[in-house]
Parts: sequence; C-alpha cells; structure tokens
Amino acid sequence: MLALRQAVTRRKLALLIILALIPLGLAAILDSTVAEEGTLIGPVLGGLVISVTLPITVMVLATGAFGNEVEDRTLSLLTTKPVPRWTIVLAKFAATVVVAAPLMAAVAVVITMMDPDGTGNAPLAAAVGVVVGVVAYASAFTWLGLLTTRALGFGLVYVLLWEALITTFLSGTRYLSIRSYIFGTAHGLNDRAFGEDLTIAMTPALVGAGLVTVVFFLLTVRRLSRMDIQ
Amino acid sequence: MTTASTPAVEVQNVSKWYGSVVAVNEASFDIYPGVTGILGPNGAGKTTLLSMMCGLVKPSRGSVRVLGEEVQGNIGLYRRLGVMLEHDVLYPFMTGRDFVRLAARLQGMNDEAAVDRAIHAANLEDAQHRATGTYSRGMRQRIRLAGAIVHEPDVLILDEPLNGTDPRQRVEFADFVARLSMQGKAILISSHILEEVEALADRILLVVSGKLAAAGDFHAIREKLDERPFQVRIGASKQREMAAALVALDAVESVSLDEFGNIEVLTRNVAELQRMAPKLAQEIDSRLYRIEPLDDSLESVFSYVVQR
Repeated sequence: MLALRQAVTRRKLALLIILALIPLGLAAILDSTVAEEGTLIGPVLGGLVISVTLPITVMVLATGAFGNEVEDRTLSLLTTKPVPRWTIVLAKFAATVVVAAPLMAAVAVVITMMDPDGTGNAPLAAAVGVVVGVVAYASAFTWLGLLTTRALGFGLVYVLLWEALITTFLSGTRYLSIRSYIFGTAHGLNDRAFGEDLTIAMTPALVGAGLVTVVFFLLTVRRLSRMDIQ
Repeated sequence: MTTASTPAVEVQNVSKWYGSVVAVNEASFDIYPGVTGILGPNGAGKTTLLSMMCGLVKPSRGSVRVLGEEVQGNIGLYRRLGVMLEHDVLYPFMTGRDFVRLAARLQGMNDEAAVDRAIHAANLEDAQHRATGTYSRGMRQRIRLAGAIVHEPDVLILDEPLNGTDPRQRVEFADFVARLSMQGKAILISSHILEEVEALADRILLVVSGKLAAAGDFHAIREKLDERPFQVRIGASKQREMAAALVALDAVESVSLDEFGNIEVLTRNVAELQRMAPKLAQEIDSRLYRIEPLDDSLESVFSYVVQR
C-alpha cells in the first residue's frame, strides 16, 4: 500500500491519464474518418500504444519506484527494518504493475474493439500481450531506477533506439526486445488481428518476457542488498 | 539487553572512501551500553560512520559488528537495532501515528500498545493524528525517534537527533535518553555541537576529517579542549601601550597588532584576561572598545585536539 501510495502522485496520475487519452483520441478520430480493417490495431495500437505509450507509462512509474526514494532519502526508512529485500522490491514492482497493467490493457482492448478486425478473442489477445509487456518493462525499469539517477534517459534510449529502430531493421535482435514479446504474445493468441510484422513466436516471446522479469527482479534485489544507501 | 562488559558495537580498522575522497580513515572503537556521543564538525565523517554501523554503507576496509554480529546484510539484526538518520525524511501523507505503526509493522509487530508507548515517549500524543507534512522540524524529529524506538531496540543510533528541537524538548530528550541508558541500552548520538553532547553523553568519540581524534570520558576530553590557547581580539584607544601591558600578564602567551590596529592576544586563561584587561586599560588611561574571541568555532577546537 505504501509503495502504491508513493508510486501514484497526483502529477503522475494526470500524466498517465493524458498518455492514455492520446491514443484513444487518435483512435476515435481515425475510426470516424478511415475505418478500414487494421487501421487502428496496426498504427495506433502497435505503433503508438505498444511502442511508445506503454513503455513510457511503465517507465514513469517503475523508474520512480526506487528513484524517488533514493532522491528524497526515504529508502533508509525501509532498509533499516528487518524486511527481506526481495519483499521491498516485490512491493515496488507490484505497485507499477497494478497501476499500469489495467490502464494499458483497457486502452488496448478499447482500440482493438474499435477496429473492424478486432473480433473474437482479439481484445483478449491485445490485453494479454500488453500485460506481459507491462510486467517485463516494470521489472527492467525498476532495476534501472535503482541503478542510476538518469533512468528515464537510459529507458528512452532503450525504447526509442533499440526497440523502435534497431529491432525493426535487424530481425534477430527482436528476441531481445520487450516490444517483440508483446507482439509475439498477441499474435500467438490471435494471428488474424495481429500480423507477423515485428513478431516472434509466442513461446520464445513468453520465455523472453519471463526471463527479463525474473533476471531484472533478481538484479534489483541484489542491487538493493549491496548498494550504499545515504 | 546488552551487558556493560561487552561492546554493543565494535568498529575495527574501518575506512570508507568514495573515489579519491576519504570519508572515514582507519577508525577503531567500541561502543558499550550507556550513552556515547560522536562529536565532530559538519563533514567530519560522522554520518558515514553511523551509516556503516547501521549497515547502510559498506566499509571499503575493516569491519563493523553490532551485538556480536556482522551488520552488513544482516537484516535480522534490525530487530535489535533502532536507527534515526540525519536526513529529515518522513512520508508527508501519513499521520504521525500511522508512521510509527508502519515502523512497528515493518518490525513484525502488530502492537498498538507499543505504538502508544513510543508516541508517549516522544511526547506527541496531541499531534499523532495529524499528517506529518504539517509537523514542525522538532515534531518531525520526535516522530522519527518514536519510529526508531517502537520495537524497544538494544542499540539505538541517532544521527543529529536534536536538530530543530527547542530547549524544553532537549531537556525531555536528555531525560528520555537517560532512562534508556539505565535500562542497559547502548545509545549512540552524533552532533556537531559540543554542549549538546555534553548534556547527554558520558563518553565521546571525537571525529575530525574522517579520523577518530579522541575517544573516552567526556570530561577528560573537555578539559583537554579547555587547555588549548585561545585567540582574543582586544580593541583599545592606546593600542601599543595596552599591548605592552597585556604581554606582561602571566595568562598571556603572545600579543600582536593586526592591520586595523586591534590587539590579538593568545591566552590559555580567557577568564583571567577578561578580568585584567579593563584594569590595565584604566591604569594606562586607555578606552577599551571590545574583547572578543576569534577562534571559538568547533573546527578550531577540533583542529587543536587533532594536532595534539
């Protein structure tokens, strides 16, 4: 509860709502003007929500989870108590997921349902893919927030340079991209609505997301256990 | 509870450096039950030393043991260790009571009576249901103290606990610390103000520039501090005659004139100088404008002890 209260300040909540409303507004405009199959799922859900809105939303929450506590020096209030470090990390990680996953899943579901292609289990596929992405990003960005005070900068480099640029042109690197895990999961659940562009198979996508989540979670616990806390 | 014969905290050859900056240099000492003060000017390395004793900062070299156990990475030790660091941090959205209750729950306690006791000890019953964001500096210090003692630790480490408190709160704090000390707890209090530590601690550790300059009984160290020569500036209308008269006093070690015509006197007996200077001025028919100490800052006091 404390982690959740710290994660969601009024300013952050306002920012997250604006971030969520932008793709929804764009989808509404496109829906009323173009309304062709795949118009919303491709450019809006894939190009905007999954590629930009989702990672930035999770980044804002997760990098601040520890970053803010390091900055305002409240971290020592927790680390001088007999609380296992992994439970502190789990609370921070869970707070990010609890806020970001429903928000991003709701945006993904609404946009998918607005698309003529978004029938059958397509909304569910979009939601599951997004939740997988939120979980993996949350773990990676929580670690980044504890590692450096420039977490947002490094996070943006990863999202905009590695995921948006390099993995687009070098297909082999998609196995090291959380965005590809999202596409792979959604495509695996509904291959009609979610095309094969930028995609890897569902099994490696889920394994990759699981590995990223576990590895960065453990790295965060290790970092918290060994770092000097001023 | 600890026993008087065994150290509650053992610091052995501890150094800490950040890059090329040495924060603590080869410090070794033991802390026993009772009240121990860590005294030193700002930036002397007190907080780094305390942070290492709390397990928050890893020594670059040496070891710190609390209650016989390595403190670094020893999470279970925090059940017997209470910590209040210098940084004035709280969760501003929480009430004081919720903050102390959170501290208790993080200790694995679900004990409202313990929360009541800690808040009572901090004398914050009236303000316990207010958000800590509305507290004064002194109140914030006291609610943090309540959070540090709610689990009744054997060792209590308090970094600058009297910052922001008023004189009445200082007296109450001294009583509170004395009670804990009588229960056999080991309490470590840091300060950069000599008089604060004097009122609270029996033993002191004097830290200057990352080094342990002196350790032991407070009064012996205080005497050593009082023996140091003091610089005093005296303003008089007949500077040269006054300087000649002053240099003849036993209490005066040397006399010089500064660029503004003031007399600078080095003395080991300020009281005697203060008593004699007006008499001398009267004898030579000089007006006396001022008598003021020049180097009574803590830094100069500490520097003197280090040089010794």
